[in-house]
Amino acid sequence: MEVSLDANLASSSRSRFAGNRNPVGSLMEPLLSLQIAEPRRIYQPGDELACECQIDAVDAKEIQAVETSVLWYTEGKGDEDLGVHYFNRRVPGDCENRDLRPMHRFTTILPNSPLSYSGKIVKVRWCARVRLFLKKGKELYFEQPFSLGNIADSRDDRS
Amino acid sequence: MARTFRLWLKKRGGRRTGSRLAGSVGEAVFFGILFLLGAVSLTAVITSQVRNPTPEIYRLGFGFWLMVLVMASFALIGGIGIVWTALFAGTSAERRSALVKHAAGMDLISDAMPTSLEYPNVPRDAYLTNSPGVKLKYRLPTEQAPVWRLGLSALIFLLSTGMTSVLSVIVTQHHMAGSPDWFLTLFMAPLIVVNLWAVRYFFGELRGQTRFGPTCIEISDHPLRPGSDCEIFVSQAGRLSLTSLVIWLVCEEEATYSQGTDIRTEIRVASRSQVLREEATQIEDGAPLECSGTLRVPSHAMHSLQSGHNAIRWKLVIEGKSERSGTMKRSFPVIVYPTVKQRTDA
Repeated sequence: MEVSLDANLASSSRSRFAGNRNPVGSLMEPLLSLQIAEPRRIYQPGDELACECQIDAVDAKEIQAVETSVLWYTEGKGDEDLGVHYFNRRVPGDCENRDLRPMHRFTTILPNSPLSYSGKIVKVRWCARVRLFLKKGKELYFEQPFSLGNIADSRDDRS
Repeated sequence: MARTFRLWLKKRGGRRTGSRLAGSVGEAVFFGILFLLGAVSLTAVITSQVRNPTPEIYRLGFGFWLMVLVMASFALIGGIGIVWTALFAGTSAERRSALVKHAAGMDLISDAMPTSLEYPNVPRDAYLTNSPGVKLKYRLPTEQAPVWRLGLSALIFLLSTGMTSVLSVIVTQHHMAGSPDWFLTLFMAPLIVVNLWAVRYFFGELRGQTRFGPTCIEISDHPLRPGSDCEIFVSQAGRLSLTSLVIWLVCEEEATYSQGTDIRTEIRVASRSQVLREEATQIEDGAPLECSGTLRVPSHAMHSLQSGHNAIRWKLVIEGKSERSGTMKRSFPVIVYPTVKQRTDA
């Protein structure tokens, strides 16, 4: 198990628009922050993954919902496949003061498969993702990748 | 405004330039029209038959019931489409996937799924372990039955030979009668070429199948895991002189993608390791070549994977080369499970 010395390295709080990149009526983009407890560690099946997410620079009333998920997706030549292992959707009514912005912590036990893999035409990536739904149909998301399993990269072997 | 009402949109990688909301609304309108069309038409036809039967217009029979079936299918497709659009409009890809996963977790459905809940996206191995071996625990099935190829080549051979023979007789009769059919005569030329190819292909397959007899591979353990060993036993029947017989453990990556309107699949070998090798040996009738050894899966190897458009498959490939009988290649799929960390209770 590899543990980084700077295990509490904060992820850069950049956010990505899933739709329109020009928010109307706001001078600053909302800031999404998502941290994995040990981002550089190679996780194993059965390990606990702990994450924290926080939202800033947006009015609480503008937020419709926040979704946090731990998922895997494929990259490479084939069309993208996606599999969700952990999913949670929160709306303002789930919080005492209807404010979804404060830090929210979630944990999950990682599954036995599929493991992270970097092949020639197929790659499997794991990440934790937070998705913010704002009013007027705008969405933002931010993801933090991590590794599951010790799989070696495939060698260059053409047959 | 322009983005919402754009007539067409552009696809830029994984992004689309149009409005998702407008797309969902359009989809709902389409399914709504389909549902109304089916429901209204079906209601009109059935109520008219019940209240005021008009046999000269709607005669009860095949046509009537076909019409009812078509209208009912319109209503059903439209209704399901509206529900589907309403459920998934504005939902993220993660939420849709979570809903599907929740449905697949139900007891009745999970048993029928191609992968188990304990090892998501790893294929089940029940079809590989349901055949016991003679010397070892499991006998592996082949990937494709050689008999099918021989049968297909025989069918092509028979059809092409039959057609060519009949047309040859007709052409010959016309020429002998003094009224040659030149169009048919010219048409015979490519047909004869195709028939010659079919004959060569069929006899090549027949020779390969009869010279290279059935192959049997047995292993002592399944599923396999990275870094694990198990015994392997191979039996190759036939009647030929082999220059070499090699068994490989091969890992292939398979990716399916859309290219315009086509769906293409690409397969690439990710790793290949030699398991057994036999050199310059003679196989006689009733005395198959038998060899055994150890099958070792490389440590840190990727497990078998099956998802919608991507797959990682493991298989044992046996390659036999003979100077007079050509080359034989057969595949036997295996499943590699991921290594599970052994937990120690505190």
